[in-house]
Amino acid sequence: MTNKKRIVVGMAGNPNVGKSAIFNALTGSRQHVGNWPGKTIERAEGIFHQDNYEINLVDLPGTYSLAAQSLEEIVARDYIISGEPDVILNVVDATSLERNLNLTLQITELTDKVVVALNLMDEIQRQGSEINVEKLEKSLGVPVIPTIAVEGQGLSELAESIISIATEKHQHRPIAVDYGITVQEYAKDLETDMTNLGIYERNHWIALRLLEDDPEVVNAFKEGNLASFCTDKKTLDVSVDALNKVLKRATRLRESIRPDARIEIVRRRYELAHDIFHRVVRILRPIEQTSTERVDRIVTHRIWSWPITLMIIVVVLWITIKGANVPSDLLASGFGWLADVSRSFLVNQHAPWWLIGALVDGLIVGTCTVIAVMLPPMIIFFTAFNLMEDIGFIPRIAFNLDRLMRAVGSQGKHTLVALMSFGCNVTGVLTSRIIENPKDRIIAIVTSPLVICNGRFGAGLALIILFFGNQALLVTLIYLVISVAAVLLATLVLNHLFFRQEPGGFVMELPPYRTPKWGQVIWRTLVHQVGHTMSRAVIIAAPATFIIWLLGNLPAGAPFEHTAVGRLVAVLAPMGKPFGLTGEMLTALLFTLPAKEIVVPSLAMTYGLQTTLVDSRAILDYLAQSWTSLTAFSFLTFFMLYLPCLVTVWATWKETRKLKWIAMSLFVPLVIASLITFVVYQGGLLLGL
Amino acid sequence: MLIFSHWFWSVLSFFFAALWLWTFLRQHREKKKKLPSVSTDQNYIEAEDALKAAYHLHEKKKDWDSKDLSLILGISDNLTNGLVDVLIDFKWAKKERKGKLHLTEKGKQRGRELIRAHRLWEKYLVTRKGMSLDEVHSEANRVEHEITSEELEKLDNELGYPAWDPHGQFISEPDGKTMSLPKHSLSEAWQSGSRMRIVSLNDEYSPLLAQLVALGLKPGVDVELVNRKQNILSLRIDDKNIPIAEITANHIFVAPSPILPMPLGELPIGSRAQVTDIKGGGKHQRRMLDMGFVPGAEISVIRKAPLGDPIEYRVKGTAVALRQKDADTVLVEELNDK
Repeated sequence: MTNKKRIVVGMAGNPNVGKSAIFNALTGSRQHVGNWPGKTIERAEGIFHQDNYEINLVDLPGTYSLAAQSLEEIVARDYIISGEPDVILNVVDATSLERNLNLTLQITELTDKVVVALNLMDEIQRQGSEINVEKLEKSLGVPVIPTIAVEGQGLSELAESIISIATEKHQHRPIAVDYGITVQEYAKDLETDMTNLGIYERNHWIALRLLEDDPEVVNAFKEGNLASFCTDKKTLDVSVDALNKVLKRATRLRESIRPDARIEIVRRRYELAHDIFHRVVRILRPIEQTSTERVDRIVTHRIWSWPITLMIIVVVLWITIKGANVPSDLLASGFGWLADVSRSFLVNQHAPWWLIGALVDGLIVGTCTVIAVMLPPMIIFFTAFNLMEDIGFIPRIAFNLDRLMRAVGSQGKHTLVALMSFGCNVTGVLTSRIIENPKDRIIAIVTSPLVICNGRFGAGLALIILFFGNQALLVTLIYLVISVAAVLLATLVLNHLFFRQEPGGFVMELPPYRTPKWGQVIWRTLVHQVGHTMSRAVIIAAPATFIIWLLGNLPAGAPFEHTAVGRLVAVLAPMGKPFGLTGEMLTALLFTLPAKEIVVPSLAMTYGLQTTLVDSRAILDYLAQSWTSLTAFSFLTFFMLYLPCLVTVWATWKETRKLKWIAMSLFVPLVIASLITFVVYQGGLLLGL
Repeated sequence: MLIFSHWFWSVLSFFFAALWLWTFLRQHREKKKKLPSVSTDQNYIEAEDALKAAYHLHEKKKDWDSKDLSLILGISDNLTNGLVDVLIDFKWAKKERKGKLHLTEKGKQRGRELIRAHRLWEKYLVTRKGMSLDEVHSEANRVEHEITSEELEKLDNELGYPAWDPHGQFISEPDGKTMSLPKHSLSEAWQSGSRMRIVSLNDEYSPLLAQLVALGLKPGVDVELVNRKQNILSLRIDDKNIPIAEITANHIFVAPSPILPMPLGELPIGSRAQVTDIKGGGKHQRRMLDMGFVPGAEISVIRKAPLGDPIEYRVKGTAVALRQKDADTVLVEELNDK
């Protein structure tokens, strides 16, 4: 048999239950597995083969519910309703079974082709509890497979169970929630109404949603289009008036349910979950004695939390900056050798000078400089960050700092985005997805360019050390403080300008501490963060450095003042005056827009010292003689904050899809950088520096 | 020519005179009609105060008349009758057979609004301005007439949708839903040896209120009923005996302890509680429900963040961090026994 049968499986589950781990383990292509809620928002797909079946896995966003209150919930619910998946694989966290069953019971209400993967079985054992899987299976009425995703246990059973559910003739009868006499009766009334109109599909479910005042379903009734809930074409013929009549009736019935229909429905569902939980789980040790409790007592301590949080952030940054030096130098010399080899090869082939220049000095050298400067710190930073995240430390930072962020109108998760932005603004912008609140998410995205990323720190550090020598550490700290202050200020201002009316809020699960899974940490770092960011950086950096080379060398053989760069310098010169910035500096800053790392070579080019981005030693000597410390400090201040790099702008567009926010993410840093630089420079002049 | 004839001028002046008279009369009439809706007007305030009293009456008994109202307001029958007429003028009340009165829907609505405004404002004064319980009543009595419904909603949001005013009286939702608690005055509920929780104090008599608060008889406090000798009732709070007059006890309302739901955010660290209701509505309410904060769920308060907010709770086997303001939308009953 070469023709394999295809089974489509939708994976649903709460955030942070190891859904992605199961997805990776089954499909082989690994995916981001985080230790904080709400990570997977995009739809990820993967294929694996078992027996004669090709199984197509679709990873749905992690949700606590299918209530259609957030984008994630709507995405997950619509997919389950769509009829596309043959089976729904519901991944359940065994350590918080009761809460997880709330989602399970909502899924089984929609479809009976459900397989439950009871994940994190190792952790529940460590916690000292037992789950009777057989009893759970019987209670739920759908197959339950215990798994330990990170060790690959239970996965083949899972695949078999999926196949048997997809192909089985006889149907499973999942347990039905008893919503109480009133609700049941009202739901039945509405069902009858709908049947009379010729709607037979998902009657019960739709009736319950009407009683619950589900925004999507109510809207569908208002507009007279049930297409997103029923596949049967006939339902499209039902008139708007008839549907509105049903809706009106539902509204009346809902109001007569006391005290509150919505609360009552969720309460009843949780009641069943509670019952099942107590039937199948045996808790052998009270929760207060878990190690998570003991660690949290210190990590979230009133006093100790501060030095611990600060220390960890400083250590991560320090390791990143220090540790990256050696591999960066090695890479740089390696690439230098590569450039030399290709240059001599091209010379031997009698290639014309412009081709050699464009290819070697533009493309190879430019791109390699970016890689050499960016790659090592990124790998170190993201490994450290992911490790912290895997352990579960990162959510605690959000918990500790929420009150602080509330003062400027944001919330704790914003600090996580900012932290990630220290590694790379692009990753920071992508991380903003963990924030459910749209307002806070936008603010986190727009303010993330104000965080000084590794690229800027690494490149700036060379100049800091050159000009401030012994005080380099102090100056670095000053820039850190300026950056944090800028983020807080921008958050406050943005809140006042755009979001005065919108309420904030902070609801976050604090997952238990877990031993990190090194393999996953490293894989995630390399493939999903470093790989993505680097490939994007190279895609943008390569043509940019190529163009910069052209600008610096055309027209051919002209003196520096007459090249495109020379002219640009002259044009920009007056603009920088009040900030103590020269035309050379501004042009160099323009050149660094593709990647901030190339600031020093860019300066070399704009000062007319050389025509390529290759070597930076000569320029450093030159700068040390021609710049005062005030000039250097002004330049660095502006450089640290002025504009996001092109890749960040692109990521901002991807995440917000609004020109308004792109404009803000350019405008805010530019204004803040100009202001601070102006104050620094003019203040310095006044002090007579 | 017609333009210069006398006829023309007299007709024209007559026309203008008529026009002026007409507009003047119209303006005058409108002014007269407008008068009551100027919210700062003294008459209007009196009318609203009367409405409030009438609303309390309406909540207590089905049938009431102007005599009941005059008793509550403490003014003469004549004055009360005038007020009743105003209430009817405003279409807030209707007269029925035998002089019985009853509130119209509009009257009930306005009455609810006033009481809600009063209680929210008291809550604001106590929690934000640090005023004492006995000071706030008169201040709230003034503000309740002036505050607009938008301002009120903003205040409600700022205070975190409180369920209780500082006197322990329930703050209803804007749509008027109130939770009815079985409450009785202390003297009615007397049963020697039993424990009761103070639900609310009658806040109409501030000197008495100040005295009760000074004695430690505040809403939310549990009291033990020791004995009753003639007109003196003896209570015990935290090993302290307090004798009070029966007439005073009429102004203290109690319920069997513990029945008073309190906002989750006010629970001390380490305590456990059971959810009774989730307020707030909308997405927030739904999210809280889905996180496991459903009526009947057991919650333990684990810890506060280093800066005092947010607070970590354990619910349904998971740890969830909530801001105090969000937690306050969850009403709970504290569980004392293990």
